[in-house]
Amino acid sequence: MTRTIIGALAGATLLATPVLAQETVTLELWSRQDTSGPLRPGNVVKAAERLNKELEAEGSDKRVAVEVRESPAPGFDEDALQLLRVFGIGEGPDMFIQAHEWICAFQQEGFVLKLDDYIAKYPEHFGTIFPSLWESAKCPDGIYAIPQDAEARMFFYNKKLLREAGYDDAFIESMPELTMSGELTADDLIEIARTVVDKTDAEYGILHRPSKGPDYLMVFQAYGNEFVDPATGKLLLDRDKLAAAFGWFEKAVKEGVIPGNNTSMEWDAIRAEFYAENNAAFWMYGIWDLGSRAFPTYGLPEDETAFFKDWGWIPMPAATKGGSPSSLTHPVIYAIAADTAEPELAVRLLGHASAVDLNTDHAVSTTHLGIKPEQLDDPRYAEAWPLARATELLKITKFLPNNPQFGDLNGIIYTAMQGVETGRLSAEDAADFVIDEAESSLDDVMVK
Amino acid sequence: MTAITEDLQLERGGRQRRRQVVNFAIFLGPAIVLTVLFFIIPVIIDVAVSFTDMGRSLQVTGFTTEQYEKIFAGDRRLVEVIGLTLIYVFATLAIFNVTFAVILALVTTATNRLTGNFFRGVWLLPRMSPSVLYILLWIWVINPSEFGLLNQVLMTVLGLETPIDPLNDMPVLLIVIANGFIGASMGMIIFTSAIRAIPEHLFHAARVDGAGGFAVVRHITLPALRWPISFVTIYQTLSLLVSFEYILLLTKGGPFYDTTVYALYIYRRAFQSGQYAYGAALAVFIIALGVIFALLGWRLFDMQKLLQRPRIEVQ
Repeated sequence: MTRTIIGALAGATLLATPVLAQETVTLELWSRQDTSGPLRPGNVVKAAERLNKELEAEGSDKRVAVEVRESPAPGFDEDALQLLRVFGIGEGPDMFIQAHEWICAFQQEGFVLKLDDYIAKYPEHFGTIFPSLWESAKCPDGIYAIPQDAEARMFFYNKKLLREAGYDDAFIESMPELTMSGELTADDLIEIARTVVDKTDAEYGILHRPSKGPDYLMVFQAYGNEFVDPATGKLLLDRDKLAAAFGWFEKAVKEGVIPGNNTSMEWDAIRAEFYAENNAAFWMYGIWDLGSRAFPTYGLPEDETAFFKDWGWIPMPAATKGGSPSSLTHPVIYAIAADTAEPELAVRLLGHASAVDLNTDHAVSTTHLGIKPEQLDDPRYAEAWPLARATELLKITKFLPNNPQFGDLNGIIYTAMQGVETGRLSAEDAADFVIDEAESSLDDVMVK
Repeated sequence: MTAITEDLQLERGGRQRRRQVVNFAIFLGPAIVLTVLFFIIPVIIDVAVSFTDMGRSLQVTGFTTEQYEKIFAGDRRLVEVIGLTLIYVFATLAIFNVTFAVILALVTTATNRLTGNFFRGVWLLPRMSPSVLYILLWIWVINPSEFGLLNQVLMTVLGLETPIDPLNDMPVLLIVIANGFIGASMGMIIFTSAIRAIPEHLFHAARVDGAGGFAVVRHITLPALRWPISFVTIYQTLSLLVSFEYILLLTKGGPFYDTTVYALYIYRRAFQSGQYAYGAALAVFIIALGVIFALLGWRLFDMQKLLQRPRIEVQ
């Protein structure tokens, strides 16, 4: 009898104890150390918990752990080049975070997983992402990435300086409207900046980033440079349009509006001149700078009304009266390595990382635009007024082309821009320089 | 008996040869291994890569001579870059690494030992400090606003109205000075030791014969410095030709291409644009150029003769 009871107990215990051997899959995520978006990798780490719960509920014996591999690259371009090398020697991660315009460089080398089927398979994760954002994740034969965020780039301006220079409030407040309607032109922008420099103590009219990046390409877009031939997808350079855009920088430097040494200034010095010292009328950058630097570091008012009392922003004005203004959005994307052992789990993990609440955490804490319409209903999102206000610019924003060589072309453009600003090249020479350099170092460049 | 002696001799001979081999391995082995590892193998790899199409993902899909075609036909920056490199190397060498180093050695050995040691110590500081720290100090010195050290001095002491921007207005002079301040110390040390090695009675004899300070320098010190000057010139030419870290940190090769010397140009092409094969092809020429400069120097300064017998009798 006793023996029977013990036997029954032992049997019950055996039955109750899960005999499944749990397997932990470690997925490595490559992410640039970037103070403007710590939750890009952070949300993937959090998503692992959600995915693991889901896996548990399904009765799967797999669990996911995320290992973040941080790269110290100062910008996305350097980071992309580094990651291409890492993949090249077979040490690539399972997933990575990149600027969207680089994705086709990875696709061209066969390093990144095609996602069309997975995206169709998991509508609960990806179904509502803004259709326009998917454009930034596409290469010629399909989707290779998942949009992580978006933003808008603009010229911030200091209303105090404009008032001091003699502009009335009515004009200052209507500048965004005038720019959107094409009434205020690129030359007017230089004129306003020059007036500020002439009539106030401010030293600078317009400041821009001191390194290669996307924002200044707004100026090129305003002058009609599309950089890619829509029919063939090849890089396209139009000499006259390039010269016209470089001409804007040339004029701005001649008028004393952009300092000739802007490209050798320090990032923090530039921000301090604009946000803290009242020493610059305009600062060409992007909306996330408010959340990541202007509010926390320089103490600009976080309240909407207080902010717009002394500060404002406009997109890049049209080249000619009545033309179209331009703004850039530069989505960051998640991508999965072509050779990952667990593509399905990686897709589901990134799907959870793209959840409305997690993406909103990133959006509101760093003033980046969200990726799904549901985020607009989140009260936190609604409270983060810079997001709502910047969304107005989405009507005119464009992406950088997803051409695999665009990053390299941008390097050439930046060098030429530096040549123009420092007086080494005329606008015409700069256009020739870009064409020469592109033709000699890039493949398949069309020149008009 | 004879057979035993022969055996013994043979054994001794064999031992000697073994010892020779062992000595060779012990004394020359490390140097040979290092030379093969860090000079010969990299050169072979570089030449091999220069004949491929290695791009930004380090993948090689085939062998080609297109990199060399690009160098000879397509690259319009190259002439400017080579011209700048020659200016930079010879200016740094002529102004700082040799001339100024000789002056420093002469001055610091002419004063009392303590002062001399102190000033030599000061001039060694830039070489001893980490390059990033050294360049950070330079960036503060040449800051184009009124907060830069140079502008503070110029504006408050000399009453200059507006701040100057050396990085933009005189970038080549700037990299020559920044490198020269470091380069001068090596020559200074070598020349100082050479001056110290001159037997003191020669100076006394010259003084007794009525020689003035300049005559002593011209007829006693400088002739004794001929060998160290030749050595420093050749060594520093080669070192300046391939070093670019201070330039990269200070000017990034800019503004535009103004301070992009040949070695930095290779770096920009290979690592900033990801054109590794092209960078490797460009590097082949710097290797060739280095060998040519070294041989030219050897011939011009008659190094072989100088190496044979010491010029100065050391007691």
